[in-house]
Amino acid sequence: MFIRIEKGSSVPISRQIASQVRAQCLAGTLPAGARVPSVRELAEMLTVNPNTILRVYEKLTSEGYLERRHGSGTFVALKPPLSQLNGQRDKFEEELGQLIRHGRMLGLEAAELRAAFEQALDNANISGSHPQESQGETST
Amino acid sequence: MTDSPDIIVRGLSKSFGRKRVLEDVSFTVERGRTFALLGRNGAGKTTTLRLLLGLLKPDSSGGSGCGSAEPGSVTPVPMSKHEPFPAGMRVLGLDPCKDAIEVRRRVGYLAEDQRMFSWMTVEQITRFMAPFYPTWDTNLANRYLQQFELSRSTKIKHLSKGQTVRLGLLLALAHRPQVIILDDPALGLDPIMRKQFNRDLIMHLQSEGRTVFYSSHLLYEVEPIADQVAILDRGRIVIQQDTETLRHNVKQLRMASGDYHKLTLPLNKLDVLPGPTETAVTLSDAPQAIEQLRQNGVTFRVVDLNLDEIFEAYVIGRPDGQRHADDPKLQEAAA
Repeated sequence: MFIRIEKGSSVPISRQIASQVRAQCLAGTLPAGARVPSVRELAEMLTVNPNTILRVYEKLTSEGYLERRHGSGTFVALKPPLSQLNGQRDKFEEELGQLIRHGRMLGLEAAELRAAFEQALDNANISGSHPQESQGETST
Repeated sequence: MTDSPDIIVRGLSKSFGRKRVLEDVSFTVERGRTFALLGRNGAGKTTTLRLLLGLLKPDSSGGSGCGSAEPGSVTPVPMSKHEPFPAGMRVLGLDPCKDAIEVRRRVGYLAEDQRMFSWMTVEQITRFMAPFYPTWDTNLANRYLQQFELSRSTKIKHLSKGQTVRLGLLLALAHRPQVIILDDPALGLDPIMRKQFNRDLIMHLQSEGRTVFYSSHLLYEVEPIADQVAILDRGRIVIQQDTETLRHNVKQLRMASGDYHKLTLPLNKLDVLPGPTETAVTLSDAPQAIEQLRQNGVTFRVVDLNLDEIFEAYVIGRPDGQRHADDPKLQEAAA
């Protein structure tokens, strides 16, 4: 498991770690059932407070990304946490809202924003197609 | 073991002559937590640490001082977390004013300036320190010598800065203290040694449930390590909070300058930067401000801040928007 911590970032450390583990679970870099480092091991690897790692593991366990098996460690969940997608979608919508407010601030009218959105959709080449198709290109 | 915090400080003040260096300082450090005291040079960090160890006496006011000190008498004061503690200091239930020796026996201390006895070898200083501590663990000291890759026969004056810090850490840990107080341990370490030091801190202190109280001015080094931070500014604690909570609560909001007056709640603004078109306001209660701006239909942007920026907002921010070059606060900062 490779995780990169950016010190002095405006993104809190716990969020940096959690989002990288989530991404690796979803991308399959961390395969289902794989054992992840213990709290202590990861704390030492990343030089991050073990309490922070513990909180991240607890959060990811409650979200269904990880499973803690008593006595044997922490593992990537066998079933992907589809229920969590709702939470992720809420977050996406919130970010989109921020982006739109930003556009309004720059003086873009509703019609211009709509056009920009359509253009972005076209560029991403996913309008109308199933997201599955583009996965090969976008997964990292 | 009681569930009372390992360190309690209430209404602590200290003057040197006429100069007040600490003013009504209060904070609490729970067992097993790592607490970082942040502040600029001269903010009072070292003074606070030395008071906790009984190396300095606080100003006495209303019973919080050391008026009735009885040297040698050890009087642990059992306290529950919920019982209000009037004024003064407690370290592991002891009053550093009255029981300074006992506090120093039970606390591991790494001083800022640790030239120590430069003519001694590593072996000699280790043997020299042991008798001061009833709980000194020779096996543990030997294990640290190995793990820290310290050569017993090297003279202290020939150690590198990084090795000196590790020797200091060994001497602070070999008596198995529950509480460790470190005065700006990362000072003068290069990036690789700082990382190594942080790793030592995590493996030998945090993973073992020790309570760590340390001062630092390297904020980006503090964030991954500290559970809690307090900002000390010109002798006063301006904020004490969980590192993550602080990051969650303190944000900068940017909005059209014409909309700024719609922020009518009595909010705790730390810094306001008014511009001709946009105004940026940094608040310590950003979630409430965001809620109000949403309700009023104001267009705004939320900017996450890093610990450096949060520190700056607390220390040199101006809530009245009057941040000028001739501001005495800023001039002090430049000095």
